[in-house]
Amino acid sequence: MLVTFFRTLIIFSVLLVLMRLMGKRQIGEMQPFEFIVTLIIADLACIPITDVSIPLIYGVVAIVCLFILHQLLSILEHCGNTFKKIISGKPSIVINRDGINIHELKKNNLSIDDLIESMRAAGYFTFDDLSYAIYESNGKLSALENEEKEPHPSSIPLLVINDGKIVDENLFRLGKTFSQLNKFLKEQNTETKKVEVMTVDGQGRTYFKNRKQKFKILSFPLGEDIKW
Amino acid sequence: MVKTFISMLVISVMLLVGAYFESNFINKQFDEFHDVLSVLYVKVDEETAVMDDVYAVQNNWLDKKKWLHAFIPHNEIKEIDLWLSESATLVRDKEWSDAISKIEVLKELCEQIPKTFRISWENIF
Repeated sequence: MLVTFFRTLIIFSVLLVLMRLMGKRQIGEMQPFEFIVTLIIADLACIPITDVSIPLIYGVVAIVCLFILHQLLSILEHCGNTFKKIISGKPSIVINRDGINIHELKKNNLSIDDLIESMRAAGYFTFDDLSYAIYESNGKLSALENEEKEPHPSSIPLLVINDGKIVDENLFRLGKTFSQLNKFLKEQNTETKKVEVMTVDGQGRTYFKNRKQKFKILSFPLGEDIKW
Repeated sequence: MVKTFISMLVISVMLLVGAYFESNFINKQFDEFHDVLSVLYVKVDEETAVMDDVYAVQNNWLDKKKWLHAFIPHNEIKEIDLWLSESATLVRDKEWSDAISKIEVLKELCEQIPKTFRISWENIF
């Protein structure tokens, strides 16, 4: 009985550490330890049911052990912020008044694409739609809308530069060439690798953010024949 | 929070009591069965064992295994069942040296199975 208890304890601890290291990508609306409990309980309940050679008590003890751990971690979470930070992590501000904070995204194993996806799910399509965006410790995105947000955007912005790398497909979709992009970057006194994010919509409205600088809204006019 | 703490405490105590009971129960059952096997072992060694002696051991095991099923993997119980029935056949045929080796295996199983429930490095990992 106690052997099963200790084995469950070890597996739980290993999973909790790994989940915390994985960042927010793998979690969906649950705290990491709640996610682990859900993950393990399903199997723990199934194995003794399907394998009749295993005494039922093995599954029961392991599930009881998870319950104890869950209660213990809940208590620790209420004890103070330090424990809460260790167990569940802390919210990350990924968009602030200066624009996207790519460092925070990377710290949570998230990419700009993940942020765009989360924003779209929340009904926002451009980065400057938001004054603040926070990834909560349960992996959910909370957003504070920009007061000057365009109410009815006519096109979805495309990611042209993603963390210093040109997204060729999107650049060509906008009917632009590398030389035109380089010329535009030169006008901004920068180069591709120094640009954290650049998105362009169908009207040529550009969200542009250089490393360690506040974002800018610029214009990168598209050709008349381009309909995006 | 108080409710959480109390529920956690109560269940932890229940688990510890259960673990203590389980450990004692398994040790007691296998110790007793080991003693019964030792008596049979002596009789087989002296070549005086009869089928009634084997039936007594089998009945003793049947009583115990009913409860042991709740605590130990059923494959281990099946293993003892098999070795025991082989021993019975060998005693019936008066093949004493083969019978004695089977009973030795049974005695060894009685010593080893309870050890798998102890808290030790090899059991946990």
